[in-house]
Amino acid sequence: MPSWTPASDTTSAAATAAVDGGAALHLERLPQTRTWYVDVWVQMLRRKPLGTTGAIIVAVMLAGAVLADVLTPYGFSETNLRERFIAMDGAHWLGTDQIGRDVLTRILYGARISLYVGFGAVTLGSLLATLLGIASAYFGGRLDLFVQRGVDAWMAFPGLLLLMTILSLLGPGVWNITLVLGVAFGIQNSRIVRGVVLSIKENTWIEGARAAGAGHLRVTIVHVLPNALPTIIVVATTGLSTVILTEASLSFLGLGVPPPYPTWGGMLSLAGLDHMYRAPWLAIWPAVALSLAVFGFNMLGDALRDLLDPRLKGG
Amino acid sequence: MKQYVLRRVLLAVPTLVLVSIIVFSMMRLMPGDVVLRMVEGHAYAPTVEALRKELGMDRPAHVQYLDWVGRIVTRGDFGTSYWTKQPIFDEFIARFPVTVELAVLTILVSVLVGILIGIVSAVRQDTASDYIGRVFAILALSVPYFGLAVLVVVLPAIYFKWTPVYTYVALTVDPLQNLKIMMVPALVFGVTRAGPIMRIMRSALLEVLRQDYIRTAWSKGLPERAVVLRHALKNAMIPVITLVGLQTPLYIGGSVIMESIFRLPGVGLFFFEALTRLDYPVVQSVNLIVAAMVVGLNLLIDLTYAFLDPRIRYH
Repeated sequence: MPSWTPASDTTSAAATAAVDGGAALHLERLPQTRTWYVDVWVQMLRRKPLGTTGAIIVAVMLAGAVLADVLTPYGFSETNLRERFIAMDGAHWLGTDQIGRDVLTRILYGARISLYVGFGAVTLGSLLATLLGIASAYFGGRLDLFVQRGVDAWMAFPGLLLLMTILSLLGPGVWNITLVLGVAFGIQNSRIVRGVVLSIKENTWIEGARAAGAGHLRVTIVHVLPNALPTIIVVATTGLSTVILTEASLSFLGLGVPPPYPTWGGMLSLAGLDHMYRAPWLAIWPAVALSLAVFGFNMLGDALRDLLDPRLKGG
Repeated sequence: MKQYVLRRVLLAVPTLVLVSIIVFSMMRLMPGDVVLRMVEGHAYAPTVEALRKELGMDRPAHVQYLDWVGRIVTRGDFGTSYWTKQPIFDEFIARFPVTVELAVLTILVSVLVGILIGIVSAVRQDTASDYIGRVFAILALSVPYFGLAVLVVVLPAIYFKWTPVYTYVALTVDPLQNLKIMMVPALVFGVTRAGPIMRIMRSALLEVLRQDYIRTAWSKGLPERAVVLRHALKNAMIPVITLVGLQTPLYIGGSVIMESIFRLPGVGLFFFEALTRLDYPVVQSVNLIVAAMVVGLNLLIDLTYAFLDPRIRYH
């Protein structure tokens, strides 16, 4: 019994029918000159104001992270003891911390970590989920049974506890946290990919491809993968915010990227609590940055999901 | 029914075995050397070899595994903490009520808030209150609970001279004082978790409200309150309950952070302190106990569904 789908079967089936009907009608009226990945963004601009807002926030965050060294005159661990605890002024837009480091600078560099880990882990995880999901569903049988029990066992652990344990053993660092979050993301989402491939597999054109002499590798790569791709993209984009949030929680607990490199979770962490009573902006700005990023990725992911794969709606 | 229960229980056994293998191999087969870190970090023994011998890790892995599982199954012996020298299971049991209470209160808050806003949003679809409700859900999804918790600890302390109570009092000693302590973390955690519940409540209720039997209820001349609360709500609750069940591991993972911010002596803080003290026997056992509980809980949920909906048994 699939325990991962939040909606009951009857409701989701009805929702699919309703949404599918609408989407199909809409797509028929479109000029056939645009490919689907261009079309998604055009549709986003036209029909999804929140998704567009999300895309803009994500774009700003990307620009801020990439251009961090150009945008700010300070270094991320540049201390200045004469300028401690400055609230907000012309030189330090978001103030400074207990050893005079510029908060805006640290937030911009912190965005780099969030994005590195976010995109890295999601890319790695999507590859793993695709591999596991397709193998498990396409070949079925004992392999499926074996893989699925493994996924069951993994999902029994409350995410944070297992991740904390593994990171404590591996030691902190950007690569370790990306690797661990990626593997966790991949195992979890292999279920969704598996579900989609199970239904793709039943199509007659898969049988046709087999009958025409295509091997399993060719069938999975040429025929199964492209049809599972929209779902994989949706899983990846909606997963970005979760991964970024998890990275922040781990950094908050001191298990993420080690100082002096700034992370949003680390800036919020209890280690700096005493200073926050004196300078509340030390708590406010990282929290705002993190919330905005999660909001942006959530809205973008939701809109992409609605446009690409209405079947997953409502989760 | 009897056969179904038996099959489900038997299916949980391999999951539990895999869970124990994951926990066991994490501590022994990962690249980081647990014993080395325990000796170097906290000098739990004079030499690495001495500690290895004390932990029984000088024996072949399969002997260690069988010995470990054997002690747990036959004597309920989960080992002792290296820091306090106390039996791990006793400490776990002593702290468990705190975590359960926090989880129950959090779920209560999130369900109450989520369901109320969800109902209003669905019944008054596309009105101002619907939009306010949906904006709330998006905000709740975006603001990280630990960020909000830090702000709740810091900001009122600065501006209103109010701080949460940090000296923990057990529920059995002084219920009122205990609730005063637990309400703040439960509210913070609960409100941020209400977002997904509100969304699924809204979409499920919208779905149900369009069904024929609801039209019948309207045409009988029933007042709105009766139609929504007595007829529609019951059927719309199923996906909500599923979601709450699925999210339970999240509350346990989140308790690590909430308990360390609000200094509650629960399982989460126990785990986190053990991790920072490199007390790996505790880390290992807590992981195992909690994962086993999740497996048990999932089994219970599945069986409840089978009891409520006889169709499930025949799948």
